[in-house]
Amino acid sequence: MDRREALRKTAMLMGAAVSASTVGAFLYGCKTRPDLTYKPVFFNEDQALLISAASEIIIPKTDTPGAIEAGVPNFIDTLLKDCYKEEDQKKFLDGLNEFDQNAIKAFGNRFIEGSPEQQLDYLKKVHDEAVNAKKADPKTPQPFILKLKELTLLGFFVSEPGATQVLQYIPVPGSYKGCIPLKEAGNGKAWATS
Amino acid sequence: MNLNVEAEKKNTYDAIVVGTGITGGWAAKELSEKGLKTLVLERGRDVKHGDYPTATLNPWELPNGDRPTQEDLKTQGVQARTGYTVRPSSKHWFVNDLEHPYTETKRMDWMRGYHVGGRSLMWGRHSYRWSDLDFEANAKDGIAVDWPVRYADIAPWYDYVESYIGVSGQSESYPYLPDGKFLPAMDLNCAETELRKSVKEKLNRIVTPGRVAHATAPMPHTPWRGQCQFRNMCIRGCPFGGYFSSNACTLPAAEKSNNMTLRPNSVVYELIYDEQKGKATGVKVLDSETGEQVEYYAKVIFLCASTFGSTFIMLNSISKRFPNGFGNDSGELGCNIMDHHLGVGANGRMDGMEDQYYSGRKAAGFYIPRYRNIGKDKRDYLRGFGYQGGGGRQGWARGVAELALGADLKNMISEPGKWTIGMGGFGEFLPVHSNRMTINHNKKDKHGLPVIDFDAEYKENEFKMRKDMMADAAEMLEAVGAKNITTHDNLAAPGIGIHEMGTARMGKDPKTSVLNKYNQVHACKNVFVTDGSFMTSASCVNPSLTYMAFTARATDYAVSELKKQNL
Repeated sequence: MDRREALRKTAMLMGAAVSASTVGAFLYGCKTRPDLTYKPVFFNEDQALLISAASEIIIPKTDTPGAIEAGVPNFIDTLLKDCYKEEDQKKFLDGLNEFDQNAIKAFGNRFIEGSPEQQLDYLKKVHDEAVNAKKADPKTPQPFILKLKELTLLGFFVSEPGATQVLQYIPVPGSYKGCIPLKEAGNGKAWATS
Repeated sequence: MNLNVEAEKKNTYDAIVVGTGITGGWAAKELSEKGLKTLVLERGRDVKHGDYPTATLNPWELPNGDRPTQEDLKTQGVQARTGYTVRPSSKHWFVNDLEHPYTETKRMDWMRGYHVGGRSLMWGRHSYRWSDLDFEANAKDGIAVDWPVRYADIAPWYDYVESYIGVSGQSESYPYLPDGKFLPAMDLNCAETELRKSVKEKLNRIVTPGRVAHATAPMPHTPWRGQCQFRNMCIRGCPFGGYFSSNACTLPAAEKSNNMTLRPNSVVYELIYDEQKGKATGVKVLDSETGEQVEYYAKVIFLCASTFGSTFIMLNSISKRFPNGFGNDSGELGCNIMDHHLGVGANGRMDGMEDQYYSGRKAAGFYIPRYRNIGKDKRDYLRGFGYQGGGGRQGWARGVAELALGADLKNMISEPGKWTIGMGGFGEFLPVHSNRMTINHNKKDKHGLPVIDFDAEYKENEFKMRKDMMADAAEMLEAVGAKNITTHDNLAAPGIGIHEMGTARMGKDPKTSVLNKYNQVHACKNVFVTDGSFMTSASCVNPSLTYMAFTARATDYAVSELKKQNL
């Protein structure tokens, strides 16, 4: 039973109407702490929740699935465990912790405790700063937020919804046409693989 | 006594072929089809055409976005030096380096797989002919020894193998990259077409569709093969038989002759030499499954175990007649290691053509044949280089560095990005006696056999050539108006071209070469070596088509010699 349902039933049992602001308070708690959709093998629960929330901001559900529905948090968790060297795992987690500590400085709460607006504003600010810093000096080491963005994009575009709905993918093309109008190249979206 | 004679008879064939890769498959087909009872020995496991476990997996069906795990890198650390071979989709085609080690007095990046088909399953499929520019090079430059053949000797065999395997390409009438018997070429895309035009106009050089061993038209003579489906997943093995491999092409032909016996899991470690007869009578095999040591006998033996593989067998075959390795009267066995050096080129971005795209995934881009040190062009190095390259439109990776986030990011990324175009050079590597392999008896592989030690390095000519390889690539991208041009020169180690050749070179004189012009061991005429080890110089073009042509020619010669009772 989710929180919304629990709240409604509690209100009924107590025979009282529940104020909109109270409902609001509970509901934002619902949105910003989505249940983990997988069992992490690398992250602890709090880190996993942060990655879930952040990846969904980077690639949200629109009229097509977002990062969570596409299994991106699970992808990132497994990739870090299986494929990263120990030193790179440590760098990533240090970056994650720093990101979370700076959230407290920014809006007084750990990232996963923030409201959706607080999370989005904070992430966007950190992200934009990182993008501009990289553009100014391409040699700066990759900041955590851009590492996360890259992993989110990777995980999303190797997923079935990412590859087949947001991009396009034909398993067996059968032929090759080298230079045709974009609108005649399948459905005109970018190909998922080359 | 009776049992031994019977056992010997059971193990006796007309011909033995060692190896089932690019050349082993051809030797198996030619010898079997010409009526010889042929035993084909492959050191690795069997792989039947179609047994390609990852061939049809979609991106979401491969773990970790097809990235190697840290565990994979422990067992295949050397194979991973290419940066692309040890992925979940292809790592099963490459050796476990811990089971098959070698030592490196100097670094050698030796990439291979031990299974029926060998590297014919994973190869890049580019197939170019040599011209006399290549065959005459050693004689003209006073380097190493002269080739004992010229283009006219090999041309009919290029015709023969190309027609059989199917090579997609476009005729250019360029004498230094002779045209072949081509199936329809793969289209150049928009960016590549622009490059072809600009490079022709401004620099008078050729940019042609890559000539690749893909079936871009039906081939009625091999009805069991399908056509290329433009999936570009070739390294995994192709269930359609869309590109040439021994598994899809030559081994089925050999099987149909009813004259081939294929024995996988058979590691040939020594040739058996009969001093009295002055002939090799067979091979010694270690069965990798049972540990049994078996001998097989034949009138003629073809070593097609790959460059370093065949030379290992020869170096390991010591007798009174051959104290320094089989057929090694010249002292050249194991020497003159060559490869193609690469990892140098340029990339750029092209504005415009935003309303144009491509559909399908082709398995070849463009090829730029050698133009250096030809005619009046004289550089401060010898020989030359060609380029492989390609164009395309940027994908999602460009989104990382952009400000877009959230729904905006999704929308931006679902459209193709700007056109990009790039190329990497393949450079000729001069033969040098001291670039060599030897057998290291201080280390053993998983079978208890000694390992190879490598002592080879790039020399001055290679380094000088790379300056042009990088600068010329940038110049050609400038010619097509590319922006943000970046150049690179990442020199790795010999072997990284995966075109290792030499070590048993052919030549006119038995004092300075191991093989004669028919790939016969000078000192033992019933042994032929037709894999890359026979190469006397390297050219800059991908070598496998040349290996196939020489193999078809040598098998034809071997059979005619057998019929004349000369072997």
